[in-house]
Amino acid sequence: MTPLLKIWSAYVRLTARWPSIASIVPFIPLFAAWWIVTALEIFPRVFLPGPGEVWQSFVSLTWKGILPEYLQDSIVRLAVGAAWGIALGIPLGIVIGMSSRAHAALWPLLLFFQAIGDIAWLPILVIWFGYGLVTMTAVIVYTVIFPVVLNTVLGVRSIPVNMHRAALSLGASRARVLWEVVLPGALPNIVTGLRNGLGYGWRALIAAEIIVGTSGIGFLMFDARRAGSVVEILLGMIILGILWYMVDSWILAPIERATGQRWGLVGR
Amino acid sequence: MRPGRLGGRIWQQRAMRLRQYLSSALLFLLPFAVLLALWAALIPWFNVNPRLFPTLGSVVAAGIESIRDGTLPAHIGASLLRVFVGTVLALAAAIPLGVLMGVSPAVSAFLTPLFRFFSVLAGIAWIPIASLWFGYGFGAITFVIFNAVFFIVTYNTLLGVSTIPLHVRNAAASLGAGRTAMLTEVLLPGALPNIVTGIRTGLGFAWRGLIAAEMIATNVGLGYMLFVARDFYRTEVIVLGMIVIGVLWLLLDRLLLAPLERRTIERWGMVQRA
Repeated sequence: MTPLLKIWSAYVRLTARWPSIASIVPFIPLFAAWWIVTALEIFPRVFLPGPGEVWQSFVSLTWKGILPEYLQDSIVRLAVGAAWGIALGIPLGIVIGMSSRAHAALWPLLLFFQAIGDIAWLPILVIWFGYGLVTMTAVIVYTVIFPVVLNTVLGVRSIPVNMHRAALSLGASRARVLWEVVLPGALPNIVTGLRNGLGYGWRALIAAEIIVGTSGIGFLMFDARRAGSVVEILLGMIILGILWYMVDSWILAPIERATGQRWGLVGR
Repeated sequence: MRPGRLGGRIWQQRAMRLRQYLSSALLFLLPFAVLLALWAALIPWFNVNPRLFPTLGSVVAAGIESIRDGTLPAHIGASLLRVFVGTVLALAAAIPLGVLMGVSPAVSAFLTPLFRFFSVLAGIAWIPIASLWFGYGFGAITFVIFNAVFFIVTYNTLLGVSTIPLHVRNAAASLGAGRTAMLTEVLLPGALPNIVTGIRTGLGFAWRGLIAAEMIATNVGLGYMLFVARDFYRTEVIVLGMIVIGVLWLLLDRLLLAPLERRTIERWGMVQRA
């Protein structure tokens, strides 16, 4: 037991110094298990290729320039869609949150249209816009906008009335109330909505690329499925996972935490 | 106070509550009535091509027609059955696994990144490989749903169990709780709010995954209904399908999952977190 414990304590000390190691090391046993299972050929190779083959296809696809291009396509689509979703969603959310009439009229509709779900829109969007960038951007905007709007509304409505009153009685104009009370007060919720929205948008992008795509990581996977090549499907899944993991835990989660620390401490 | 009067008052209260409930339901439905009226008025007014957007009447007709010939109930039944089977299997596997891993802080700290990684992949990304492994049909789609629910619920259970404050566990242990008592009285109730939140999130992803998977990998189900209708430019069937999908999810989420989550948090969520 002692050597095991020693290894474990060394690992704990290591991860205490470089926390990012803790998010990489657990994958090593998984990789090893994958490698052993494929080396023993428990499942047919065609169904479950090994890490070596996936790595080879990664190298060759990168070499041919297909992978970087598809990756870029996917990221650009997500970025464009997310930018539109945010630009439309936050103002809409603030309007709905601040006016109780708009809230009564639009909140049920928002819930319903969120429930329809992005992917169910694909068939009719294809009829309207054909196969291409517009359809995919529309799907992502649709996906991103609802979590942003719903969370912004929640954030705006959770600001105590007394904060509004205090600002107003100190002589703040409506614009200043918006800028100094409503926006900062709702910011933690807005960021949470953004994170959820991007998470859903990412998945919607994959679905859209699988169903109507002509390029992108989702298309790579579906194209490989048509050709019956599991190697490229696995490669696509790994890239998707790593990419989103990095975006989420290195960019979005820290932003959310920082906003929560800076503006989330307002007494509710 | 006489019992009769008390009964009367309870009835009065109930009637009032019912009236409140009805009026809030009416208020909720009013925007939809406006939307439907707009739809009924604007589409004929602008003479929109039915290949681009259907009239209200044609969607209603398509709804009645598909209920009468039994296709719509068949699609709904197939979709719901897949969600149900996939979710039940996933929960049966995820909750014990999550609790087991969460009990030991070392194991849970070690495995958390793995489960985060796989919950990122949840749902749609599994469709291509699921359809290769299981062929087109029930197996592939149930597998996709299983995946969407399993990883998110396991991750949340793990999180829930490992954030139970140590002093609560120590208190139970020093009061003489055995392993089973610890499990049923401390770990499970403590993790329950997280588990239920995980179920709700996971089902949200699973529902989307279901629609996407049905578009690709089957010949029955709501997603399939939408996708086939697109081939024939039958927008009335597409819109009907979208409405059915929206209503089903709204019912599932608002009448089942959201109250479940709220009650669980009210009942078990008050435990102090470290």
